[in-house]
Amino acid sequence: MTKRIVIQPVSRIEGHAKVVIQLDDSGNVQDTKVNVVELRGFEKFCLGRPVEEMPRIVTSICGVCPWSHHLASAKANDAVFGVTPPPAGRKLRELCNHIAYTEEHILHFFFLAGPDFVMGPDADYSVRNVIGIAQANPELGKRVVRNRHLGAQMLDIVSGKSIHPVTAVPGGFSKPLTVKERDEVLPMAEEVLEFTKFTMAFAKESIFPKYLDTVKQLGVIQTGFMGTVREDGALELYDGKLRLMKPDGSFEDFAYDRYDEFIAERVEDWSYLKFPYAKSWGEGFSMDADHPKGIYRVNSLARINVADKMATPLAQKEFEEFRAQFGRPAQLTLLYHWARLIELLYNAERMVELLHDPEITSTETRVPVTPRAARGVGCVEAPRGSLIHDYETDANGLITNVNLIVGTTHNNAPINMSVNRAAKAVIKDGKYDQGILNRVEMAIRAYDPCLSCATHYLDGRLAVRVDVLDAEGRVRDTFKN
Amino acid sequence: MADYGNADVLVVGCGNVLFGDDGFGPAVAERLEQRRDLPSRACVVNAGLGVRDVLFTIAVSERRPKLIVVVDAVDEGRRPGEVMVRDVEEIPEREIGDLSMHLLPTSHLLRELHDACGVAMKVVSVQTHYLPDQVSPGLSDAVKGAVPLACEKILDLLRSRP
Repeated sequence: MTKRIVIQPVSRIEGHAKVVIQLDDSGNVQDTKVNVVELRGFEKFCLGRPVEEMPRIVTSICGVCPWSHHLASAKANDAVFGVTPPPAGRKLRELCNHIAYTEEHILHFFFLAGPDFVMGPDADYSVRNVIGIAQANPELGKRVVRNRHLGAQMLDIVSGKSIHPVTAVPGGFSKPLTVKERDEVLPMAEEVLEFTKFTMAFAKESIFPKYLDTVKQLGVIQTGFMGTVREDGALELYDGKLRLMKPDGSFEDFAYDRYDEFIAERVEDWSYLKFPYAKSWGEGFSMDADHPKGIYRVNSLARINVADKMATPLAQKEFEEFRAQFGRPAQLTLLYHWARLIELLYNAERMVELLHDPEITSTETRVPVTPRAARGVGCVEAPRGSLIHDYETDANGLITNVNLIVGTTHNNAPINMSVNRAAKAVIKDGKYDQGILNRVEMAIRAYDPCLSCATHYLDGRLAVRVDVLDAEGRVRDTFKN
Repeated sequence: MADYGNADVLVVGCGNVLFGDDGFGPAVAERLEQRRDLPSRACVVNAGLGVRDVLFTIAVSERRPKLIVVVDAVDEGRRPGEVMVRDVEEIPEREIGDLSMHLLPTSHLLRELHDACGVAMKVVSVQTHYLPDQVSPGLSDAVKGAVPLACEKILDLLRSRP
């Protein structure tokens, strides 16, 4: 008799998702699906609005990565208006991006994914959470809190507002950074840098070695990767060219406003989240984990894989060690966590570097803009992957078309494949316990998915639907939320 | 008004203002922030979608509020606009995972903050009338009318604390 295990909610990721694991008559995994059960409809809502409002509106898409949306939107506005921000405007945007990144990566490692590793995947569920960490290691908990507070304080000083930011505007940045403010922020950034160094050392000494076997086994799939690099091939998070890498390590670079020549989005009738794939590879789309077609991944591991190097010295050292140990491209899904910590270090280093740049306190932070009919694409690397905002306007600067591809959407197919692999590896002959189920969730959490803002409203009519399939793939039940 | 890291009582308005009555929590927070009779030891946070950060930080902080009041919108099939004030353990299990669109990690924290950290938790919720499945800002009349009542109930809660 077919048995179905439903894990809902997938705790500690943003937004709602349902994992359905379908077992066959022998109690082994027959099929898995990660379903998103939330709708947004944001693009439709934006039509007819002045395009310059978008950087402020998009921060309401989701409370998790408002800065990434804010900056991608500001960049799309620059393109729509045909302007280039002055150097100080660009650098202030970049600085805010790095600060927001450090907050997010610290949060993810210690609060969201960390509990699995710090407490152990087989630990009782009641202690495998952030409070468990705080109780097991109170000093560490205090340092995590302080460093996240520092991030929020820095954003408040630089931009005036850390949540729902407003300072990135078409043509630049609305608030110059004074020398006094810079002098206030710099020691904070240096303290965060010290903490990121500690975090990397702590993880390499106490966390990663202990779970290397798990890293090598859980949710492993073979895919391509995509991320942003500078002209010299160094990893970049704010502005650069996109690099799309095949599973064999070969790659092609392209300007992000040509994304639709390289990426297509597929719709599956069981998910409201689209499934982007690499159409430029010319092989179509398949999520068969043994024979995937067109599948690429984004987020930290992808960025580390596509990059030739890191632009800062400490991150470069870690990058070289990582690459020597895991190769290029590294495919082990749980290495997202390791890659995330290399990025954390890079962000902190770059933050300090920018604050030492005399140009960052220039008062010339923006240029004027004039409405026109145009298309503009903005792209940044959000913590969860390449974030693309694509706007079209009429002659009055009113939005006529919007397309957003968010980081988690790129990873939709890989998440489903990794969950399938993880479930097959840890559920045998109908035997499982809480630890095994959590390992399935771990495969999802490695991607740090933010499913709430990744969900698109596909046809404007349908409600969310979850289908339950039997062993033959027939729909047994349909649930609507 | 106290900073939330130092407050004895914390009122957190949660929800997404882009999704109809899900904007109830932020609306209550905005109104409370204007009240001059708010006790000085209390702090109101219009957390919107950023509630997770606030509660995570409190969870691992040494100094925590004695009471946290979470304000949110729920759909329980009651009369639209009905305001409920409950202890966190009175919230049905389904709603713990379903309080609001962005509360998935947060809703677990509500119980964990209460159970593991000894923080008293109250949940002030409103029965929604209009929860769209796509972006559509603005409260329904029934829920808009419930905002002042919710504020009074919260102030009563704060005044009744020693």
